[in-house]
Amino acid sequence: MVNNQDSGGCCIDLSQFGAGRGGDDIDMEDEEEVPRYLNTINSSGGFLMVSTDKLSVQYTNVNLHGHDVGVVQANCPAPVRRVVYYFEIFVKNAGAKGQIAIGFTTEQFKMRRQPGWEASSYGYHGDDGLLYRGQGKGEAFGPTFTSGDTIGGGINYASQELFFTKNGKLVGTVYKDVKGPLFPTVAVHSQNEEVNVNFGQQPFVFDIEAFALEERLKQQMMIEKISLPLHVSHWIVRSYLLHYGYQDTLNSFDMASKSTLPPIPVAQENGFNEQGEMYALGHRRILRQLIRSGDVDSAFGKLRDWYPQIVQNDTSTICFLLHSQKFIELVRAGELEQAVKYARAELAKFFGIKPLATLLQDCIALLAYEEPVKSSVGYLLDATQREVVADAVNAMVLSTNPNMKDSQNCLHSYLEKLLRQLTACCLERRSLNGDQGEAFHLHRVLQSGKGEK
Amino acid sequence: MSLFWIVISQLAAVETMSTSKKVITREEWEKKLNDVKIRKEDMNRLVMNFLVTEGYVEAAEKFRMESGTEPDIDLATITDRMAVKKAVQCGNVEDAIEKVNDLNPEILDTNPQLFFHLQQQRLIELIRNGKVEEALEFAQEELAPRGEENQSFLEELERTIALLAFEDVTNCPVGELLDISQRLKTASEVNAAILTSQSHEKDPKLPSLLKLLIWAQNQLDEKAAYPRINDLSTAVLEDPAI
Repeated sequence: MVNNQDSGGCCIDLSQFGAGRGGDDIDMEDEEEVPRYLNTINSSGGFLMVSTDKLSVQYTNVNLHGHDVGVVQANCPAPVRRVVYYFEIFVKNAGAKGQIAIGFTTEQFKMRRQPGWEASSYGYHGDDGLLYRGQGKGEAFGPTFTSGDTIGGGINYASQELFFTKNGKLVGTVYKDVKGPLFPTVAVHSQNEEVNVNFGQQPFVFDIEAFALEERLKQQMMIEKISLPLHVSHWIVRSYLLHYGYQDTLNSFDMASKSTLPPIPVAQENGFNEQGEMYALGHRRILRQLIRSGDVDSAFGKLRDWYPQIVQNDTSTICFLLHSQKFIELVRAGELEQAVKYARAELAKFFGIKPLATLLQDCIALLAYEEPVKSSVGYLLDATQREVVADAVNAMVLSTNPNMKDSQNCLHSYLEKLLRQLTACCLERRSLNGDQGEAFHLHRVLQSGKGEK
Repeated sequence: MSLFWIVISQLAAVETMSTSKKVITREEWEKKLNDVKIRKEDMNRLVMNFLVTEGYVEAAEKFRMESGTEPDIDLATITDRMAVKKAVQCGNVEDAIEKVNDLNPEILDTNPQLFFHLQQQRLIELIRNGKVEEALEFAQEELAPRGEENQSFLEELERTIALLAFEDVTNCPVGELLDISQRLKTASEVNAAILTSQSHEKDPKLPSLLKLLIWAQNQLDEKAAYPRINDLSTAVLEDPAI
């Protein structure tokens, strides 16, 4: 974090402004491994045979007792960072006794026993339709199943339950008291039993998407009941417009608010405190428009006239951002010779400063490509980069406000602070919950949506 | 007596131990906050979504120019929608119905409840303006047939007609029907129906996110002590009470 102490102690941290290659946050949800096939290494081989595609299992023997079950687990445990996990089996052949089971087991499971016959395991058994969960005796649960049936097993992280389905219909649920990774498990126990497994490579018979959606909606409905202070959304939007200097929008917004029915009163009447962000609104608007249009020279000029203290220190981060943007604009315009001259004159001095190194390097790298837009540093030519500079300038101007109580306020709007808190709380809550369930992603919320509410 | 207090304090200690929450200091929490990346363009979209859904057409247009954010629906449709809403809010229900049908005739066709409420509002306005004969005719010809199809419509119709029985309508049991809030309710219903017909969500996303924040903090409170935001309008972090 670069300490830009010149003007009111407002620190510009480049990463805060999303500056840098691939501003996309890594979607953590995708990092989890998902079961794809059956694990042949730890299965009770000798009793069963797994097909070469590792998606089918057959009982090869004649079973004699309760310790020669042919059990096989998936290659990895069920992923947790989601609302539900689900997989299905298709009973190709119920064999002699139809003693097929589907369920979930832990890594330590004794692979010669039916899932559910040992502690920390769950099994829905086809021969008696009972659910076994760690005791010798099963509980009445659902129908039996046999050749031609498709049985599904799933984990509902929202309700902390396991659930099973038969031929597309929900059979029942049971509370999941086992914490920790659970492996999808399939078992066969009598001669000629044969089962196919589907980890999602084929469409499921059960509508798992609808099920997951239902769970999400349940939660959403509960949350909708929470009441908010009157007009708080309106206030937050207004503060946002004020903070970033969207003056025209703000004026339209205020005017329209007065003529709505019922009219939305001015902040003070609602008990909301205006933090003096009206400060320099006109200037900030002009500066933003200049930078958004690529006219960095004029922006520099205005800053020197209006807030010389901001650009006084020529090796400050804000000066770097402005100079680098000017350089980018020259590259965009194809004026490569001028760009080089500019770099030598204005960018060279930043080479020693560590936090700026990556961005500086990326900028200069633009020169290496015939079509910089298509290169790995092409992101610099995006409109979002101008936005980064505009936001930084905006923050610096706000920091010159003598009435500013908290210098950190100039960096983030209320909306941003609220969204960060929301994200952090959801992540922490999930992490304290065995990492189970979905976290909050603003981007995903914005994508979602027609009809899904 | 002192033994009593010893037992009490020991019980209290056991309580705190069994419900001990993870304590997250301000510093640790701020680091977690700093690790969160919120994209400016996503926030812009959220704001634009608010402006558009709530019907701030001009503001949405200006915001598009000042921020470069594209609205998620055609701004022209907002103007139409707002005109309908305004007409109902001013009591010009016939005008509103015409406009809705111009926009999309299917809306009223597929929304019998909405259509009934609009007709009911028309009746209310006739009564408000003292047009007793017209009101009766309207009720008998237009509303009664609907009432026959649906029990709750019938009840609403009877409630509305009851207005005619009172000299001093401001003090009667169904007087609230004459209140402006009734118009606003109907206007809101029409607004939502139009948005839905345009495959747009009828509510802005921002309030839901604020509610989600309140909920998430309450949930986290069960397991951890951490800096909370208690006042949404200032977004100030308040230190955990340890």
